Amino acid sequence: MKSKIVRRLLSIVAVAGLMVGCGGKGENSAKNSTQQDSGNGAVTLKIALWDYSNTEYFKNIFNSFSEKYPNIKCEAVEFSSDEFDTSILTQMSAKTDFDIVFNKDIPTINALISQGHIMELDNFMEQDKDFDKRNYSGLIEQLTMDNKTYGVPFRKDNTLLFYNKDLFDKAGVAYPKDGMSMKEYEDLAEKMTSGEGNDKVYGAHTHTWTSNVSQYARRVEEFNPIDSSTYEALIPYYNTILDMQSKQFTQDYGSLKTSNIHYSGVFYNQQAAMLEIGTWYINMLCENADFNWGVCSLPNDKGEANDKAVGGVTPVSIGKYSKNPEVAWEFIKYICGEEGAKILAQNGILPGFGGEAVNNIFDALPESHKGVPENLSRYIDLDTYVIEFPMSIKAKEIDTIINEEHSAIMTGTETPEEGIKHMTERVNELK
Amino acid sequence: MFGWVKGKTVEVSVRKRSTKFRNTMVAYSFILPNLIGFFIFTFLPIVFALILSFCEWNAGNSDIKFVGLSNYITMFTNDKSFPIALKNTLYYTAVTVPLTLMVSLGLAIIMNKPIKGKEFFRSCFFFPYIASLVAVAVVWMALFNPDKGPVNQILIKLGVSVPPRWAASQTWAMPTIIGLTVWKNMGYYMIVYLAGLQGVPRELYEAAQIDGAGKWKQFTNVIWPCITPTTFFVLMMLIISTFKSYDIMYITTQGGPGEATKVLAYHIYNSAFVSLKFGYASAVAMVLMTMVVAISIMEFKAEKKFTDYL
Repeated sequence: MKSKIVRRLLSIVAVAGLMVGCGGKGENSAKNSTQQDSGNGAVTLKIALWDYSNTEYFKNIFNSFSEKYPNIKCEAVEFSSDEFDTSILTQMSAKTDFDIVFNKDIPTINALISQGHIMELDNFMEQDKDFDKRNYSGLIEQLTMDNKTYGVPFRKDNTLLFYNKDLFDKAGVAYPKDGMSMKEYEDLAEKMTSGEGNDKVYGAHTHTWTSNVSQYARRVEEFNPIDSSTYEALIPYYNTILDMQSKQFTQDYGSLKTSNIHYSGVFYNQQAAMLEIGTWYINMLCENADFNWGVCSLPNDKGEANDKAVGGVTPVSIGKYSKNPEVAWEFIKYICGEEGAKILAQNGILPGFGGEAVNNIFDALPESHKGVPENLSRYIDLDTYVIEFPMSIKAKEIDTIINEEHSAIMTGTETPEEGIKHMTERVNELK
Repeated sequence: MFGWVKGKTVEVSVRKRSTKFRNTMVAYSFILPNLIGFFIFTFLPIVFALILSFCEWNAGNSDIKFVGLSNYITMFTNDKSFPIALKNTLYYTAVTVPLTLMVSLGLAIIMNKPIKGKEFFRSCFFFPYIASLVAVAVVWMALFNPDKGPVNQILIKLGVSVPPRWAASQTWAMPTIIGLTVWKNMGYYMIVYLAGLQGVPRELYEAAQIDGAGKWKQFTNVIWPCITPTTFFVLMMLIISTFKSYDIMYITTQGGPGEATKVLAYHIYNSAFVSLKFGYASAVAMVLMTMVVAISIMEFKAEKKFTDYL
């Protein structure tokens, strides 16, 4: 009888055991190694990042840094891009001694700050005479929390409206221009929509991210994700985008989402005349497009032309458990400074560090790549840069809610009014 | 003389006992590695999660703060996502489990017959189970693409003017995922049922046939009672796996549209790794575990009752 009870208990515990680990999502294995002084004063910096193996500019910058500082080695610890946030939070919770942590976006750096996993950089900045905050278009000031700075912008990307000049020329339609209203944008999309079935060319392409709608309103500062009282400003923008979708000037959100269709292929294959996307696409178009293309600022209903940019930032931080924070600061200063910026710009990537040198590299792109527009610097070097998601301890939670309601609105599950109402209520309920 | 015999008896008995003890120790030594693993990686985390469910902790450098029943109270009073996730979990389980059971049993019965090329068909049905979930999900989502997917194209050809928008619709997103789950798992449970069916004694079929039982009577009076233990096994495994399932939702819909496919395990993941509320996530995990354990206990009891004749 007793053994029966024991057996029964054991089987229940075994069942319970099966319940454990539902959060065991594929965390990419990181290359394990220790950072050690190798006796000759050499230091190895352990750097947490994503996309290292398939991105040239990381390797170029690290090599260039190691050439300048032969005693400092860079060891990249790469995580999957999609799972980076979870991976880095888990690693840092285990107090992994990363010297450098790249942050994918503002919600990630906020999460790391709230958990105390990254260092304040204010002392480094103040004591280092070579470092000048003014080179970052006001981004450093926007990366502070409680008046403390935790990251330096490595990359920034502002969102632009890319268009296919060849398709516009063929249709005899004037190119999109800075400061268009949303109505003008929709009219243009209508004029540029043509064909049927596999030959159909959509007037515009709206990718599935929330930012593909919210950034129209965010650029003109009508919408602020961390201020729920501004959410209603999104309604007219959702109405326009949904109207374009229902009239088939753009592809259907649900179809794009379920098929995992990437925006890049749609534009490369000339299936869409306009695409709202970040400046990282400049590099991709240089490499892949065999047509002429152009850019202009995002349409909006406040008459804002091209004086403001909106987009995301990739901040770099020093890990709290770093054994070599001073060396790590030297590394950050280099990769986020003019030398690192030049390497990024040469790869078609917009660095956080601005200035003439970077502008000149972008303006020289038409000489080396076919189809690239002149004077790109007009769109990358702007006085006002609005971060798409301001710093907030609740950023990740708010981001999740906004994304969920965005999918409900875009699939027609909720009207924009209902979706925004739910979004506001849910964000207000966050403790 | 007697004393010697008595001594010998005692000696033999002691030797027997020591052999028994040695055998027991050998047996324990075999299961010990597994038990240690279970204790460290399963039992301790459960205990830790239980303690954590009464605390507030963000997995960072902040202290673990005891908050009593606060997480449980929040779950049932303030968190609007929890009842939605609970309802979705129950819906997903309530439909997936019987559907998988029926489909896999049906397939097993067909595959148990002497049909031509059955090995090929068995492999076909088993293939989704061994294929990567990501690959299977991509194929499934392509089939059910609301605009260009072959399923909707066929429905339009059949005269359905407005076919469902499947994963892009709040109403149809969950049925789409349920279909994917059934398709993925049916092969595995078909194999389990096949093993069960092959254990049914041939004489019972013959006796039933002699008594004039038709196919349906044979199924209800011979096959079904004989495979009841298999059915309980399948039922338990399915309930456990569907209750804690979240990978399919993560890959296909990310819990959307809106919160249409957000299940409890997904809510736990979001609470822990997105909202960094590990205490709250542990409380939800405890509720989920309690539900599974309760259902499992009921199943154990039911199994005993329904398999008494075996």
